Amino acid sequence: MPDPLIALSIATGLLGLTAVLFWPERGLWARWQHARHLNERVQSEDALKHIYKCEMKGRRPTLESIAGVIHASLDNTAELLSAMETNKFVSTLDGDIHLTPAGREAALHIIRAHRLWEHYLAEETGFEEAEWHGRAERLEHALTPEQVDELASQLGNPIYDPHGDPIPTASGQLISHGGQPLTKLPLGTPGRIVHLEDEPAIVYAQLVAEGLYPGMPVRIIEISSERVRFWANGDEHLLAPMLAANISVVAEPVTAEQETEEPLSPDSDTLNRLPIGAYAEVLGIANKCRGAERRRFMDLGILPGTKIKAEMRSPSGDPTAYIIRDALIALRQEQASLIRIRKPQAEAQR
Amino acid sequence: MNDKKNLQSPISNPASPAAAAAGCATCPAHNAGNLLKLGVDMTDWDYVIALAGNPNTGKSTVFNALTGLRQHTGNWPGKTVTRAEGGYSYGDQRYKIVDLPGTYSLLSTSLDEEVARDFILFGQPDVTIIVVDATRLERNLNLALQVLEITDRAVICLNLIDEARRHGITVDDRRLARDLGVPVVPTAARQGEGLDALLQAVSEVATGQTICKPHRVKTESPAIQSALQTLTAQIQQAFPEVPNARWVALRLLDGDQRIADAIRSGELGDLKRQEPEAKQDLVIHLEPA
Amino acid sequence: MTTDNLTSNDILKTAESLRWQIGREFHDRLMEDIYTDAARLADRAVTRPDEKPRFDLDRAIDRIVTSRTWGFPMMILLFTLVFWLTITGANYPSQFLASILIDTMVPILHNLANAIGLPWWISGLLIDGMYLATAWVVSVMLPPMAIFFPLFTLLEDFGYLPRVAFNLDNIFHKSGAHGKQALSMMMGFGCNAAGVVATRVIDSPRERLIAIITNNFALCNGRWPTQILIATVFIGGLVPAYLAGIISALAVVGIAVLGVLLSFVVSWSLSRTVLRGEVSTFSLELPPYRPPQVLRTIYTSLIDRTIYVLWRAVMFALPAGAAIWLIANITIGGTSLAEYLINFLNPLGILIGLNGVILLAYVVAIPANEIVIPTVLMLTVLMTGVNGGAGAGVMFNAQSTSDYMSLFTAGGWTLLTAVNLMLFSLIHNPCSTTIYTIYKETGSKKWTAVAALLPLAMGFIITFFVAQIWRLFAG
Repeated sequence: MPDPLIALSIATGLLGLTAVLFWPERGLWARWQHARHLNERVQSEDALKHIYKCEMKGRRPTLESIAGVIHASLDNTAELLSAMETNKFVSTLDGDIHLTPAGREAALHIIRAHRLWEHYLAEETGFEEAEWHGRAERLEHALTPEQVDELASQLGNPIYDPHGDPIPTASGQLISHGGQPLTKLPLGTPGRIVHLEDEPAIVYAQLVAEGLYPGMPVRIIEISSERVRFWANGDEHLLAPMLAANISVVAEPVTAEQETEEPLSPDSDTLNRLPIGAYAEVLGIANKCRGAERRRFMDLGILPGTKIKAEMRSPSGDPTAYIIRDALIALRQEQASLIRIRKPQAEAQR
Repeated sequence: MNDKKNLQSPISNPASPAAAAAGCATCPAHNAGNLLKLGVDMTDWDYVIALAGNPNTGKSTVFNALTGLRQHTGNWPGKTVTRAEGGYSYGDQRYKIVDLPGTYSLLSTSLDEEVARDFILFGQPDVTIIVVDATRLERNLNLALQVLEITDRAVICLNLIDEARRHGITVDDRRLARDLGVPVVPTAARQGEGLDALLQAVSEVATGQTICKPHRVKTESPAIQSALQTLTAQIQQAFPEVPNARWVALRLLDGDQRIADAIRSGELGDLKRQEPEAKQDLVIHLEPA
Repeated sequence: MTTDNLTSNDILKTAESLRWQIGREFHDRLMEDIYTDAARLADRAVTRPDEKPRFDLDRAIDRIVTSRTWGFPMMILLFTLVFWLTITGANYPSQFLASILIDTMVPILHNLANAIGLPWWISGLLIDGMYLATAWVVSVMLPPMAIFFPLFTLLEDFGYLPRVAFNLDNIFHKSGAHGKQALSMMMGFGCNAAGVVATRVIDSPRERLIAIITNNFALCNGRWPTQILIATVFIGGLVPAYLAGIISALAVVGIAVLGVLLSFVVSWSLSRTVLRGEVSTFSLELPPYRPPQVLRTIYTSLIDRTIYVLWRAVMFALPAGAAIWLIANITIGGTSLAEYLINFLNPLGILIGLNGVILLAYVVAIPANEIVIPTVLMLTVLMTGVNGGAGAGVMFNAQSTSDYMSLFTAGGWTLLTAVNLMLFSLIHNPCSTTIYTIYKETGSKKWTAVAALLPLAMGFIITFFVAQIWRLFAG
């Protein structure tokens, strides 16, 4: 029989080694797999995407900016660019880097793949919103155009990605959302968010943390060079103009229905804050609630106008059971916080 | 243990609609070939009945009451959703009854809903019984209305009428039948109340004595209305036989891949409109008000 | 087949372009339209009483069973009652079945075999191997399941079980699981295969997989006898006689509680690692209370659950019985196959505080945990040559605690062996019936492999550390 101490230390060592090697996503094996994908194809595709985005925004792509995006030295980037020029994807005129028609098509293909993956991650998986972009950045390089079409058809040919960006069609058409930065929206004009810029990631995370989503109605209350104060979906938000410029909106004509149905007023609340025994009327489901969960809510009859009563709370504190269209349905706190209600009034009894 | 006992060819059923001429009054409406694909063997049966309904509506009580526990359970082919199958005789006809999974809706993508939806759409049962809870009619009508979009051969079983009575709720079943355009039979399956009337209504729909004109959901948005019209017209043109073009159009607009695939593969084109022409004096027309 | 491919594609193209026009809130609009219609139709047909009745029985029951004061005590009381009824109620029919199927039938079958002149190896394989293993499984498994499942189904039909899920959801939520896992876990205490089937009530894919993979940590009916026996013989023997009963019972309950804790830990880590990307939703309807239909429930739960599980178990017990008999009776150069295998497995067994006999018993007893102890006893007799048993390959149970003790001592068992056997019995791969059920339910080889290998690896690691640390301090 081996000495217990020796056996213990050998076993602990082996377990530790296995963990270091195979830990999901952070183990050596996962890192190696990841690194293997960061090859030339990825770099040239990322470069194409970058140049395309710069062209769309009317900025000038430079050798330095490309090198920054693809995490390569300037020399390697120059080498990559000249290879791309030989392949007729880019042309350099007087030091300006331009996409050729072939290059533009290739760039759109990658953007299509990226946005389809984001849609997939949002609708068909349980990953957190903050992870969608990063994962899609890796997945977008893996598929051939045929496989991308396959993915699109499996997803039911979605037309928008979860950030509100239109997904380029298979034939390479990109229909613009036609939005303008929030900062350009005239004071008091109702608008609707059509897009949140997902780069840089830090800014995007801040916008998400504010609870902003494409599709939300907005209205600017106050705008100055230091801050933008606006209503979005019944809540007041305060952002620096630099951040607010990353929100694209379209102006929307007000209809009588919206004035009543979408109250841009502080009298809305979320279901989780409804006290036991009180009634409330549903205003809507938060836009960040997507995929299976959103459809399930609607199947259960949680729709604008539905009367809900908070009936009882679990003895362990969560979930809470609500009476929804005569049935007693338990929802967890985090789910109930996705449902917007009109604040219960004292006489709101049926 | 599974129900794979019949692996022979489906031709043994002389009453299959493929063999029968269109317009036969008493011919079964079902599509035996498609049913076999769904694992339902119709060799010894005249009609196939699907049983749909929300969870907790007493659907399995209705099922047990109709089949007298003579049932067998198994899985749907290739799926892990259980199904109970049984049968009963009424008049001279033998009815096979398939219990669909209890669901709140047919529009989401859960496995249960997909199974129920596919059975009603591609299995083309002769009659679909929709069990609804009389005490929570509004919630249950959500599913009923969705089923009525797919098939026009349905009977509503207004179950738990005893519970409703106890709570002082009355449901005007005639008005509901007129509004929905299909027979509505109040039952209390637990006590066996109303089951005879249910069987009678099922047999009348199966044999074509009752012709249903089911209620279809109206949509408010003009954009959706016009899109729906355009697409429905195209589908009717390409597949004149499909009985529920409007519903197919709705699913396509919702991006339902299963339906798009069925169009591409021609599976949808195999579905036949079933309109048995019964003798006019026997026909009870149900018109939506 | 009258499909005009061009037309089909035209339709799909039209649909695509229309979707751009109608916008992305189509599904929401559609649902709103359906419910608006449903509400209108229901409103026209339904007349409600003018004033609500002052007393609502359902709410009254709910207020008690989900109350902060009474909710948990009632739950514990009810389930203790169910388990007590199962264990005490099953005792007598189990003994009765064993006496008929084993004590009476085996000699009769042997006489019959002799009368028609079957060679010894055929009658040995058929009677001592296949028949005996099946008889063990049936007599141990059938009575508790025939009591447990109907009781459980009655609670389900009454509407109480969803309230249990409601009460416990917060704890499960914190470990990334679904409150309804409480139900599949409790079902797992009856039988893991039935517990795995019971996860069907969980409608969220991620939580359902978690419930399936961790169901094995619910100590099933087939493993209770092993735990009780070892605890009585070894743990009960440590304390004065008047304390023996309570201490050994506490040891068994401790193992069951450890299983519940492990299933929380494993649920937690699975939901944060490999299962992170699976879709997760939660919905729990609390249906109205309805008086259960007792006779119908008993009938359907016997058909749907008991007979179904038993049939699968029997199908797996038959080949296992044959294998057990064969390894004990096939000899190579005067040594039986079993001895070769035991000697081969012994170093590994010793390393994790068990021995070759126990490991071999677990290998051949994959089909059913019920036959582990009879197999261990038979193999111990085979290896040590002490008196006892009915011959090579014939499983048996000893008569009294002291008989067990003397057999185990002859096999070289210590307190460490007993503790680790209790641990390993809790933490090892599920039986083959359960593995097969997991495969049928998930339809995935990958998740079946995870469900089978994860607890096995955990079992080896935990028993190894217990053994080595034990030796470090005790020896």
